[in-house]
Amino acid sequence: MRLLMLSSVFLALSGAVLLYALNNETRALEARVQAQERQAARLRSDIAVLKAERAHLARPERMEPAARAIGLQPPRPAQFADAYTETGR
Amino acid sequence: MGRSVTISSGLISVAGRPRPAPPLAEATPRHPLRSASVMLVILAAFASVGTQLVRLALMNDGAPGVAISTPVATSVARPDLVDRRGRLLASDVEMPSLYADPLLVVDRDEAVEKLRSVFPDLDERALRETLGDKSRRFEWIRRGLAPRTAQRVHNLGLPGLAFREELRRAYPAGRLAGHVLGGVNVDNRAVAGIEQYLDREGLVDPVVGAQPSTRPAVALSLDLSVQHALESELSDAVTTYRAKGAAGVVLDVESGEVIASASLPRIDPAHPDATPKPQEIDRVISGTYELGSIFKMMTVAMALDSGAVTSSTPIDVSQPLSVGRFTIKDHHGGGSLSVHDVFVKSSNVGSGQLALQAGAEKQRAFLASLGLTERMATEAGTLAAPLLPRTWGEIETITIGYGHGLAVAPLQFAAAAAALVNGGEYVAPTFLKRPTGAAIARRRVIAKETSAALREMMRANVEDRGGTGRRAAAEGYRIGGKTGTAEIAVKGRYNPNAVIASFVGAFPIDAPRYLTLVLVFQPARTVASGGEITASHTAAPVTGKLVARIAPLLGIAPQRSNVRDL
Repeated sequence: MRLLMLSSVFLALSGAVLLYALNNETRALEARVQAQERQAARLRSDIAVLKAERAHLARPERMEPAARAIGLQPPRPAQFADAYTETGR
Repeated sequence: MGRSVTISSGLISVAGRPRPAPPLAEATPRHPLRSASVMLVILAAFASVGTQLVRLALMNDGAPGVAISTPVATSVARPDLVDRRGRLLASDVEMPSLYADPLLVVDRDEAVEKLRSVFPDLDERALRETLGDKSRRFEWIRRGLAPRTAQRVHNLGLPGLAFREELRRAYPAGRLAGHVLGGVNVDNRAVAGIEQYLDREGLVDPVVGAQPSTRPAVALSLDLSVQHALESELSDAVTTYRAKGAAGVVLDVESGEVIASASLPRIDPAHPDATPKPQEIDRVISGTYELGSIFKMMTVAMALDSGAVTSSTPIDVSQPLSVGRFTIKDHHGGGSLSVHDVFVKSSNVGSGQLALQAGAEKQRAFLASLGLTERMATEAGTLAAPLLPRTWGEIETITIGYGHGLAVAPLQFAAAAAALVNGGEYVAPTFLKRPTGAAIARRRVIAKETSAALREMMRANVEDRGGTGRRAAAEGYRIGGKTGTAEIAVKGRYNPNAVIASFVGAFPIDAPRYLTLVLVFQPARTVASGGEITASHTAAPVTGKLVARIAPLLGIAPQRSNVRDL
């Protein structure tokens, strides 16, 4: 009887320690996951802003005057060549 | 002195007072039920702990959840919008929004004064009331701030003010394609255009705070470069011809994809107006107009397709067409014109006669088959309903034959015209990019031969001497088209000085890939237009310049026979 009681107490204490350790580990994992999720969200947000900025800078209304300022213009038909005709094949 | 205890022969004697010892058999617990209960409780506890351990070991899915109360979503995350080549048109970005906790505001007057130094347009009285109401703990002051503005507010160092990150819709291309994109309100919910399509189709997700959408981007049929070229040419047209507005569409005649759609004046999708001014509506889908002679495409196609006439059938246009008190006149002199010339010279009398030959019923059925009599819906919104005559008698049949008496949205007309030039199959227009190889619903409306004959007339209208569309010619590209100059009805009377000049074109006209429709609203008589306000002097040259600009962007190679050497 005494042995049973001692074993029970030992098992109970072991279980409690195990549960505490599991709980602790779980919380640590949760914290890590949340930190990583926060970082991922921050990065996603940064990416979205950078994408929008790139698109804003590359918008045709900005590019066209800049291109014309350096002498570029839409391609004229005479600038096209027929590859078959030009190479004789 | 202690007492001596001795045990002998079952007797216990304490201090000499013998007491009988209990028999050995009585050493077991005196309350067996109680002991069993305790054991049972301990066993149950162990079983519970064991079960929990097993559950944790076996059922750990690696995604620990946190039990928190979930607040009600206040905003929505929207997927990106990109053009057909993947260029960004709209995206959600995180931006700070300023709110106040009135209970924590120490000096209301100071807060109001300093806030107004950053936001001069803030209503001082309303702000004072907001900050003075200590019963409230949360009040928005200004949402969607630029980072620099947020920093300025932060530098004020006012207690009771704080920021919350929110999703705001950004339109990196500015006003480009503003009408098509639509816009969203302060809660990131759609108010118009394609943005409404996203809401309608459930492509947005309710969120709390600033969690961007994880959905894939929605690809539109628009091509940003072509869109810019269209808006740029229309803008030049408004300036050159001192017009009150302009609109245009570029449509893929095979797939029905809208490559570009513009209406001037433009709107800023970042600041959508809940009640846009009449001149700011999207004229391509929200306005209906009598489009004038470009409607002769329908009349001639109907006549050719019925087999009643051919391109060379002569039509007598020597006399004005009279029905009741109405008389339709022409400016093409006496004699007769072939059906081909009725189209190229844009004869109202000839078109009226072709329409009369078919009759009202057949005309209505033909226009219905082209989708011109019913309201059309697109992803960018439902088009304005066509305005049909109350009674469809002889006079209406004639006037509709040359584009008066029936008003439709320009996009609806463009879709119908595309069916006439693409070999005769109607394809519903779409603002979404069609996946490569996707099946497209087609409906035959005219025979291939009819379409070919019509294309030949459109080509002649631009390339041959005497055609009304000669100014639409573009070096290197074979364009076909039709001009239309429709007088605008004011108080029941048509005003000859206020017109909608339009040009519907297709290129390359031998095997069209794209259709263009350009409308110039109320052009003035300018030097550039030779003092004219007709489409041949306004909308046609705009189309020529537009095609020369967008054809290379669309991968249409110029034809050497049409190219002057450098």
